[in-house]
This record gives sequence, C-alpha cells and structure tokens, in this order.
Amino acid sequence: MIAQMAGIPADSSIWPELLRAGLASASVGVAGAVLSVFVVLRRWAYLGDGIAHAGFGGIGTAVLLTIAFPALNNGTAIFLIGAGFAIATALAVASISRRRAVSGDAAIGIFVAATLAWGFIAFGIHAHLGRGGPSSWELYLLGNASSVSNADAMLAVGFSAAVVLTVLALQKQIVLYCFDPVLAQVTGVPTGFVHYLLILLVAVVIIMGMQLSGNLLVPALLVLPGAAGLRVSRRLRIVMTVAVIASVVATLAGLAISRRWEFIAPGPAIVGVLFLEFLAAHFAAGRGGAEQD
Amino acid sequence: MAYPYLTVSEPIIEISNVDFAYGQRLVLKHISLTVDRGTTVGVIGPNGGGKTTLVNLLLGLLRPTRGSIRICGMSPNAAVRRGDVVGCLPQTPRTPRGFPINVRQLVRLGLVGKAGLLGKETSDDLQHVDWLLQKVGIEELADVPIGSLSGGELQRAHIARALAARPHILFLDEPTTGIDRAGQDQFIQFLADLKQSLALTVILVSHDLRTVAAVCDRLACLNVTLHYHDVPGNMPQELAREMFGVDLPELRMERSSR
Repeated sequence: MIAQMAGIPADSSIWPELLRAGLASASVGVAGAVLSVFVVLRRWAYLGDGIAHAGFGGIGTAVLLTIAFPALNNGTAIFLIGAGFAIATALAVASISRRRAVSGDAAIGIFVAATLAWGFIAFGIHAHLGRGGPSSWELYLLGNASSVSNADAMLAVGFSAAVVLTVLALQKQIVLYCFDPVLAQVTGVPTGFVHYLLILLVAVVIIMGMQLSGNLLVPALLVLPGAAGLRVSRRLRIVMTVAVIASVVATLAGLAISRRWEFIAPGPAIVGVLFLEFLAAHFAAGRGGAEQD
Repeated sequence: MAYPYLTVSEPIIEISNVDFAYGQRLVLKHISLTVDRGTTVGVIGPNGGGKTTLVNLLLGLLRPTRGSIRICGMSPNAAVRRGDVVGCLPQTPRTPRGFPINVRQLVRLGLVGKAGLLGKETSDDLQHVDWLLQKVGIEELADVPIGSLSGGELQRAHIARALAARPHILFLDEPTTGIDRAGQDQFIQFLADLKQSLALTVILVSHDLRTVAAVCDRLACLNVTLHYHDVPGNMPQELAREMFGVDLPELRMERSSR
C-alpha cells in the first residue's frame, strides 16, 4: 500500500533499498516510542534535543580532526565521532543533573547551547583553513533515509531490540523512578544506575535516528509518540501500544511521503505525521483524556 | 495495657551523636536516640527544626556530618537497598496525578526494591498486596487509575505501597496535612489498627500535635537539638507551651478520649 502511495511498481528494483530504510526507520520508531513514554513522564522532553545537538558539535569535532588525520574523512568515521560526542554529552548531562547540582532542564539547556556553538565554531575554523564548509549541512540536520546500508539497517534493528528489551526487563524500576526518583531510592531501587541507563538509551536512539531524520528532528521521536499515548489513556500498556503504533505509522508514512514528493525530506515528513497523530489523539481524548499535571 | 510495645527493648534504630550541617549551617546537633522495636515515635518541632533532615538521614538520602546511624544493625543506605526494612510515605503533593498506573500497580511498586533488579515479586508478596488493599479499604479501587482518587484514597494507596514489602519500620511524613478533622480521626484509628496487626515501628513526622499525641508512644521534639524523648504524657508543660503554644492537659484529654 505504501508502495502504491509512493507510486512505486511492485517489481521495482528499488525494493531492497525501501525495505532497508523502512526496517531501520520502523525499528528506531519502536525504540523511540517505548522510551518516549518515560521521557515525557520524567519531564525530559528536551533531553533528546540536547543529545542530538551534541551530535552536531561532534560532527564539527570530526570535521576538524580530518584536517589532522585525513584517514578519518569518511562517513562512518565522522558518524562514529559524532556518536561518541553525543554519548559523552549525554553522560555529562546525566552527571550534573544527578545530584541536583543543576536542574535537569538547565543541564540540557546548557549543553544544547554549548555543543551547537562548538559545532559552528568547528565548521568555521574548518572553512577558515581553506577546507571549505561541511559537505552537506542538510545531511546532518535532516538526515537521509535512502542512504541506509544493509549494515545500518541491521544495526538499527539490533540496537532497537536491545533498547526495548532493556526497558521491558527494568520496567518496574523505570516506572518507579519516573514516578518519583526519591521514592524509588528509598524503596531500594539503584536510582543512579536507572538514571544513567535511561539517558544512555535515549542517546542510543538519537544516534540511530540521526542518520534517518537528522539531528534537528530526531528528538521528536522521543517525545511525540509518548505524548500522544499519554493523551489517550491512563493505562501504561495502552499508552505504550498507542505510542509504538503512532511511531511506526509515522516513520513509514513519512518515508513514503518523501519518496512520493522528493522535495520533502523524510525527517520533516515523519515529524509532520507524528504531530498530526498527536493532534488527533489530543482532540479524540477531549476532556476525558489523561491530563498531565 | 497503655503502651504494650515499651516492654520490648531491642533497639531497631540507633542514632548516636549525629551532627548534620548544610554547608556552614548546623541543622542537627548531638542527636542521640534509640527506638525500640514496635514503638511509634512522633517527631515534632518547629519549622526548620530539622525534622525532615532527620528523616532524610534515616532514609540514607543524606549522610551525617558526624556520628552514626544504625537501622536493624545496618547503615541507612544498606537498610533501604534491601527493600524490605523501611517503608516510606512521602507527602502526598509529590504524587504525579496523571501518571498512567492504577492503584494495584502503585501498591506493587512498593515491592520493586525487594524483588531486586531483574527479580520478580513472589506470589506471596502479590497476595500480601491484595490483603493490604483490603486492609486500607480501597480494594474496590484496585483497577482505577491513580489520577481518579481523592486525596484520602491516594494516601491509603500510598500507605499500602509503603507496607507492600512488609517493612519493619514505617516512615510517615506529615500524613495528616491537608486532611480535615474527621479524616484525621479516621487516620489515627487506622494507624492504631495497623500497628496492632503488623507489629510495626512507626516514625511519624508531623506538625499536627493532636495526631501525634493520639498515636505515639514516644515523642522526639527537635529544634536543632533533641529536646525530649519520652512518653507524651510526661512532656514538661513549659516545653509544650514553648514549642507549640498549647497546654498539655489538652493533649492528655485527646489521648484518653480515644
């Protein structure tokens, strides 16, 4: 059906590529959706932005490093350096927000600004040294789902499965931690472990999603599905199910849209569908919905 | 027998010579206190007197600047990490009302620490949860989302949660704040019942001297230092007037009218 919508004949040789992109996007969508419920409940809606923007700073760092080490000048190395930078930033946010030295939202705000600034400075230095600007801004900011290789797709499926299984295995600890971190601690939950783990899982999803929808928009996968699910129900299982369905539908529909109308990048298309789904959930739930307080 | 638990002499909480300071400001000074198993201790005192700090020290959320605390022979952190030594009722306003769980799920969250990181609750513990739901009188609300509960019902659910892992010690932080007088009387009766059937040691922090006097075997009056620790009826008149502006006969009446 998606293929028809996208105007692709069934026997097209484009199928393997489509399948890869679809599989990778949907699995990142599932992992993002499962986490998004807890991200919203924990009020970490901007955490994803913080980590994703750190990826931008990371790519800036990578680009500078290619001057000293030309061998690094390939997509994989740059991506890995960006990913490492994002994970380091995630751990830094986790660390300074842990003991409430700085509140969570301030910690995220600080790192969004700092890593973005560093990214621009790094690209500036790179250009100043006569190496030109980054090869493609849009690729970093908006992603490119059609560049997904077999290995990328397999990694996306594997990491998403790992994220989902981790959340399911530690669901009770995570629920209690999101309900009230202090209560979790006095109930005997190792809250430090859960805190770092959740932020690391978010970082993993962000890094996987960056290639697909770019670091500007990938944070949406970690907020909108959960927000829609929480609007519809006050039962965790239903909230999770709605979030996952909304996310998978949006990622696949977004890919199809960008395939059909090539001037629309997949990232914005996915987020557009997610937003419409949220609006639908919001108005369908009406006053009976599960309002947050 | 007015104070049946006082005959049991094994100390369950031992606080020795504890000081605590936030930076330069000394909040608790030379606190020494022993709590016997089965006693109900009321922690009272003015705002800023260190009540909450003391509870946070006992729960391992803060570490003493000096001195030591033992709970069942363990450090507070070790006791809390076991998940079945300490139960805790926080002040109700902390509860996120829109949170997508029902009453039974909330109560079962009390077992999370006891079950361990990848462990499962035992069927015995799950049965205990159902028994507690009945005991606190909210079994018919078990499948209702917590956002639909009244303040009193939510508090009962939280008490059941705090008791789910069958703790030895129950901490109650301002349990009657924002509850009307009839609700307070109900709570007092309910707590007395619970103590009887579960042989609990209770640490009750409260501004509400009426509740404290009605349910506690011992009083700890905190105002940086520990002023008093004895049965409520023996509290010196001047101390009561100084700390709360009330006369004691009033309290004795409340207690005997129960």
